[in-house]
Amino acid sequence: MTTRRSTRFIWQRYARPIVLPIGALAITGVMLLPIYFTAESSLEPTSSFQALSQSLVPSHFVLSNYRVAFDAESGNIITSLLIGLGAVALSIGAALPAAYGLTKLGYLKNRAIVSGAIMVLLVTQMVPGISLSLAFYKLFVHLHLLNSIAGLIIADSTNGMPFATLVLRAFMGSIPVELSDAAYVDGASEWRTFRSVVAPLAVPAIITAGLFVFLFAWGDFLYAYTLTAGGNVTPLTKGLLDFFNNNTVDWGGVLATVVLAAIPSGLILGFGQRYVFGGLRTGALKG
Amino acid sequence: MAGSAGANTAPAEARPAVRGSRRVVPGQDGAIEGGRPTRPARTWQWLRLHRRYAILLAFVIPALAYVIIFFAYPLIYGFTMSVENLGFIAGSGPFVGLHNYKVEINDPVTRTALMNTAIFLVLSIVFQFSIGLAIASYFNRRFFLAKFLRSLIIVPWLFPPIASATIFSIMFAGQGGIIDEMLRSLHVVHSPIFWFDSSLKAMFVVTVVNIWIGIPFNAVLLYSGLQDIPIELREAAALDGAGPWRRFRYVTVPLLRPVALIVIMLGIIYTVKTFDTVILLTNGGPDNGTQLMSTWAYQLAFTNFQTGDGAAVADMLFIFCMIVGVVYIRATRREVAMA
Repeated sequence: MTTRRSTRFIWQRYARPIVLPIGALAITGVMLLPIYFTAESSLEPTSSFQALSQSLVPSHFVLSNYRVAFDAESGNIITSLLIGLGAVALSIGAALPAAYGLTKLGYLKNRAIVSGAIMVLLVTQMVPGISLSLAFYKLFVHLHLLNSIAGLIIADSTNGMPFATLVLRAFMGSIPVELSDAAYVDGASEWRTFRSVVAPLAVPAIITAGLFVFLFAWGDFLYAYTLTAGGNVTPLTKGLLDFFNNNTVDWGGVLATVVLAAIPSGLILGFGQRYVFGGLRTGALKG
Repeated sequence: MAGSAGANTAPAEARPAVRGSRRVVPGQDGAIEGGRPTRPARTWQWLRLHRRYAILLAFVIPALAYVIIFFAYPLIYGFTMSVENLGFIAGSGPFVGLHNYKVEINDPVTRTALMNTAIFLVLSIVFQFSIGLAIASYFNRRFFLAKFLRSLIIVPWLFPPIASATIFSIMFAGQGGIIDEMLRSLHVVHSPIFWFDSSLKAMFVVTVVNIWIGIPFNAVLLYSGLQDIPIELREAAALDGAGPWRRFRYVTVPLLRPVALIVIMLGIIYTVKTFDTVILLTNGGPDNGTQLMSTWAYQLAFTNFQTGDGAAVADMLFIFCMIVGVVYIRATRREVAMA
């Protein structure tokens, strides 16, 4: 009994604080190893065979791979940026007032309106992109939106808009209704209440939703692949595939392009972490 | 006396009180005290309230219009494409009813794609979920660096899937790929493995990539589910003499079940939609060995110029997603009702 207690005490007091972080480091390391090797290999001269070196630090530090990547992809990066920002503007522009309207209608008229709308929004998130993209292609031929940034903004917002509405509505549901009621009683119109009271309070949720919408659009490949067939508008994701398929020798350039494509994810993780975790939870669980 | 009067009026007031629990807005319900409001006053109230509803509805209209024009309409349009004998996607064809669906159900490639999707789905979900749960449980403790490392684990999920696929494609390269080098240095194999020359190996790689992408999502959501379980419950069970396994089995598992169900449903939906990684890694090959329903629909419509058939396959996928979606909504209904 005493020995058991003392081993346990030693574990709790001395071993646990060392063992647990080491184990966690190992888990994280294994998960992130592919990314680490990519970043590391993109900084050293690569031969055609050993595309990913196993060394942990670059043997020779070079930026030539990034020059290759930029030469090939700088136009596509701008295209992807425009699509991402456009999708954020369209999605948030529609989702923010919708979230306000839904929340208020839920309070004033009937909660069923909100649950019904949430269900519709959840269902839209489950529609496979390929089902939409076939119809989009045909519709975009008629609307002259094929091979256009505008067309991709519209298509990419099918991922972003419902998600943004869910996140924003979940947040607005948590703002005390007394605040907007007070504004209303003081004579502010709904628009004024929305613009001056609720929207400023919702800024954190707007950032969360905006970051995700941007990431969805930036990382979208399906619509980029299907709706730009043979055109001159090439988002970075499609550019990466083309570069990968056409480039069997210079893997360094491909790896550098992968790193460039991953930069927004890294930035968002670095600066918007709390927004990311909040969004993940509300978007997925709280409806 | 006062008591009986209260009892008399109680049923009449009970209903508005319950309905008003949605939120009584000052100046609307029951604003006029001492008896029923006069008829003009009620009309005035009605008009004012409905004007407010109309204004609030206007806030919703842009999003509603977007959903109707870019979701409902394309879905219906896609269905009409699937019942036409449509060749080139931008062309037109005669109505053939459910002919395309019959043809595609009997097509051996569709059956392969269906089978591949099922295997891919089951393996992905099983491993994503169990590894995600293991990671979540590990991090469900306080220790140095926990918060920092937990946030790093999310990275693969934030990556564009096409970038992840590129990384793995290079890692699994047959000659000089890092996986190959490792296996050879560990003397597991002695000659290069060509990962993409058989359906089995190619399917393995595709599934591994999808599991890697899905683990962070499972881990983060399950972690937040674990955090919601009060620690007192596990402490109480420990005091009652339950060991770690019993605490997990009889305290954690039942309480985690709602979250776990949601995570699995979302995992199924994300996985069944997979497109990017397969296109980059194998493009459905070798010999349709990694063809999924999504990539097969794409190939039918855009490469084989059998758009009607492609739309039929896409709609089968859509129907499957909707079935999962109904289960998901039933599972989340309580949380939605509370939101």
